[in-house]
Amino acid sequence: MVAVAGLSAAALLAGEFHLRFLAEILIIGTAVMSLDLLVGFGGLVSLGHAALFGAAAYAAAVAAQHLGGNLLFILGTGIAMGAAVAALMGAVIVRTSSLFLLILTLLLGQIVWEIVFHWRDVTGGADGLRGLPPLSFGPWVLSSARPLFLLAGLLALAALWLAHSFVDAPLGRALIGSREQPIRMSALGYSIPRIRFLTMLVAGAIAGAAGALYPFVNLYIGPQSVHWTLSATMIIMLVIGGVGSLWGAFLGSAVYLAIQTYISAYTDRWQLFVGLIFVLTVLLLPNGLAGGLRRLASRMRRRRAQQA
Amino acid sequence: MGYAIVQVLNALSFSALLLLTALGLSVVLSLMNFINLAHGSFYLLGSYIAVFWFASGAPWWLAFPVAFLATALAGALLERFPFRGFYARTHLMQVLLTYGLSVVFADLMRWGFGAQILSPELPEPLQGVVFLLDMPFPVYRLFLIGVGFFLAGILWVLLDRTLWGAVVRASVADRGMVETLGIDTRRVLSAVLVLSAGLGGVSGALGAGMLAAYPGLDEEVLILALVTVVVGGLGTFRGTVLSALVVGFALTFSKVWFPEFANVVAFSAMAVLLLLRPAGLVAPRLRQV
Repeated sequence: MVAVAGLSAAALLAGEFHLRFLAEILIIGTAVMSLDLLVGFGGLVSLGHAALFGAAAYAAAVAAQHLGGNLLFILGTGIAMGAAVAALMGAVIVRTSSLFLLILTLLLGQIVWEIVFHWRDVTGGADGLRGLPPLSFGPWVLSSARPLFLLAGLLALAALWLAHSFVDAPLGRALIGSREQPIRMSALGYSIPRIRFLTMLVAGAIAGAAGALYPFVNLYIGPQSVHWTLSATMIIMLVIGGVGSLWGAFLGSAVYLAIQTYISAYTDRWQLFVGLIFVLTVLLLPNGLAGGLRRLASRMRRRRAQQA
Repeated sequence: MGYAIVQVLNALSFSALLLLTALGLSVVLSLMNFINLAHGSFYLLGSYIAVFWFASGAPWWLAFPVAFLATALAGALLERFPFRGFYARTHLMQVLLTYGLSVVFADLMRWGFGAQILSPELPEPLQGVVFLLDMPFPVYRLFLIGVGFFLAGILWVLLDRTLWGAVVRASVADRGMVETLGIDTRRVLSAVLVLSAGLGGVSGALGAGMLAAYPGLDEEVLILALVTVVVGGLGTFRGTVLSALVVGFALTFSKVWFPEFANVVAFSAMAVLLLLRPAGLVAPRLRQV
């Protein structure tokens, strides 16, 4: 309810620039939230999540260039691409864990990046793709900031709902079990590779849906959206927001992108500050903002209970 | 024939460089279970030190010990804070901390040394080419092969054949028992990290003559070194040597045969290798309890 109210207030009040910025936060936040399914609930730390997101974004952009920007078609393309790359990655990683998982996802992500970076005829190489047609839904053309923002908001809410029901479903519960007690879960007859593979598919589909909208916010897509740097950034957004809280992903991406945007307006050394954000987050806020807020809330509730 | 020999030597020199860098990463990773993504920064710092040392006119061979000492000092400072507090934390937190540090260092180095590609002016005895079956081959790469494998050999003796190496390995296997023998294991682990940082620096200094020095090189080297360590298997010296050769040859020859998509081919080959042997080429013997 609060989220819907906030979204509609922002849609009414914010200007063109800020609406596009908020849409970007919501889209990246959705991708980060899909990563939370892997990291927060499955204990699978992936350094290749940007590959799912970026591959879907490129697929959507290329599809729009050739066949026009029909919204449902573009979303379908992105979801299919995200799920396809996730299936590939999932097939590879299901049996590994911890360090090997980290390196394998990094390797696979960089393979996707190399393909995007060197396949100039289709992806534009280092320049990326510009001049995309705007999204359309039936007779409406979604080119200005407000409909794009509302679209991103709807996507974020739908993804949040989907992720919540995934976590509450038997599959999600089994995923948490496979993180906490893998041996016991296998003994109970669960197939851990299968659980992980299905989780990868769901996360890939959500990241793919987010990726499909991403190129249309600024009508540009570049190879940075596939690089492992973005994967690492997604993880830090997740940690800032709070691992395992789902909605914290949006908080984290908002905080990170706001800091990055405002710092880069003031200084050329913004990468220095980006690095410092990483270091300070793990030093000061390892449980994230969502964890901090929750602790604060429970402390206030306890105090109120004592007073009563 | 001459062409093939030159390519094999190219691959060997690249393998020697990878081996030194990966060994630095590997001792920390396998002995202390600490992922140090800032290792590429040590490498690049060493490269910049070599470039400026060669240009300064001081005795050229001193560049390598100087690079070792400078990066070892940086490693010692970082070990005090913040690394020491993260040895017992999860891999995720280690990755984020050291990745953040590497971004900070990358930007500081770009600030200090500029964004252009700096190639060192090689000292007199290492300049020029030798002819192997009528094919020219840079002298510097032969030097790199020799020094690289020589240093790796020294490290192997240090860790595998000396008392100090035995203490290090014992601290990993059973820390509590080593403590009861009156050895300060915290100091042992600090020494390992300092050694690893110094190795990163010296491999950077050696690599400068082959790969030059530029922003972004830290990341490229880091990824290759990480892959080398993991493909080889954790905690085995032989495995790292073997996988440095595999990765070096795979990258060199995929550049010869598929110039455009060299990394795609090489990375895919390594991913397949990791799938076939998930614990690495030479899997460490696990103690079954």
